[in-house]
Amino acid sequence: MSRYETNVVLYRLKKDSAFRDRFRADPGSALAGADLTDEEREAFMRWDTRKLNDLGGSLHLLISIPGLAGH
Amino acid sequence: MGKIVYAAAMSHVLYPDYYSQNVGPHGRRMVEALIDVVRDMGRTLAAAAPDALVVVADDHLNVFSFDAVPALCVRVGRSVNRMVQDNAIEFDRALEGLPERYPVHEDLANSILERGLQAGFDFAASWSAPLDHAFLSPVSTLYGARPVPPLVPFWVNCFVAPQPTAQRCFAVGRHIARVVAEGPWKVAVIATGGLSHFPELSLARVGQSDVAFDRRVVKWMEAGNYEPMTALTAKELHESGSHELLNWLVLLGAVSPARARTRFFGEMGRIDLAALEWDVA
Repeated sequence: MSRYETNVVLYRLKKDSAFRDRFRADPGSALAGADLTDEEREAFMRWDTRKLNDLGGSLHLLISIPGLAGH
Repeated sequence: MGKIVYAAAMSHVLYPDYYSQNVGPHGRRMVEALIDVVRDMGRTLAAAAPDALVVVADDHLNVFSFDAVPALCVRVGRSVNRMVQDNAIEFDRALEGLPERYPVHEDLANSILERGLQAGFDFAASWSAPLDHAFLSPVSTLYGARPVPPLVPFWVNCFVAPQPTAQRCFAVGRHIARVVAEGPWKVAVIATGGLSHFPELSLARVGQSDVAFDRRVVKWMEAGNYEPMTALTAKELHESGSHELLNWLVLLGAVSPARARTRFFGEMGRIDLAALEWDVA
């Protein structure tokens, strides 16, 4: 489980509005360079916040990404 | 001889809109009652006229990324900015409208850092980390329109495992108390966060707290019974959602053996809110 890379992507989604916009427009393209497992990539593509949390994604990032906050 | 002239700990999302949105009118009323108490505590704090205010709090992955998460970090430098977040959600919005910059008490911060390293505490130091709601929501509520004294922000890694132990955080507080006692300053110390919420940092469990756990730790603090608190394990803190008690443990080390006086305790469901003061005068 690449907990580090998952959280790097989540952190960028919170802090980098241009990356966030690219992700919302085309998540597959935005994540093309990210070193994620197939399971992690799929969770990002579906924006399945509970799955991302189960895979090690930080709760505090998941609940605070502008426009994408998970509950 | 320096002295700790005021000590308190309190929940740190002092933002009624957050609880309106996530809990409802009951949550809003409870946090508004807490805010009134914290404002009253602020009058006592301001009357103590500290030269510096040490604020022990945690980062919510706002400041430190997974590239490096310091277990314990002293903010040094001459000033510190508040965090800026575009399109901030809920509790991050509590920062909007606050001053952009606050003074740092450089001499006390450097003393805690340098003497800490000499004493075996391998603190990280940051010259640039900004402050999120964990610091500024309590500070701004305590001080209102009054001038805020120079700050010494101190971060404890509460959320990214492995965290420092409860015992270690208490020892850090003892260290801070020694530095203050041997220095020339009147110092206030506050710790923020809690009580229990977000058990296991699980999105599926957001909305749950552990009232029995919170009642127990408050009674321990009221009795000055800190041994069971320093014995709390990472597993107990994680399962109950009491990660932020690590901040409080630093404060307990600084004020021990003083006993706490509970100024506010409220069982909300999503979180238990609290504000406690210690008689250090």
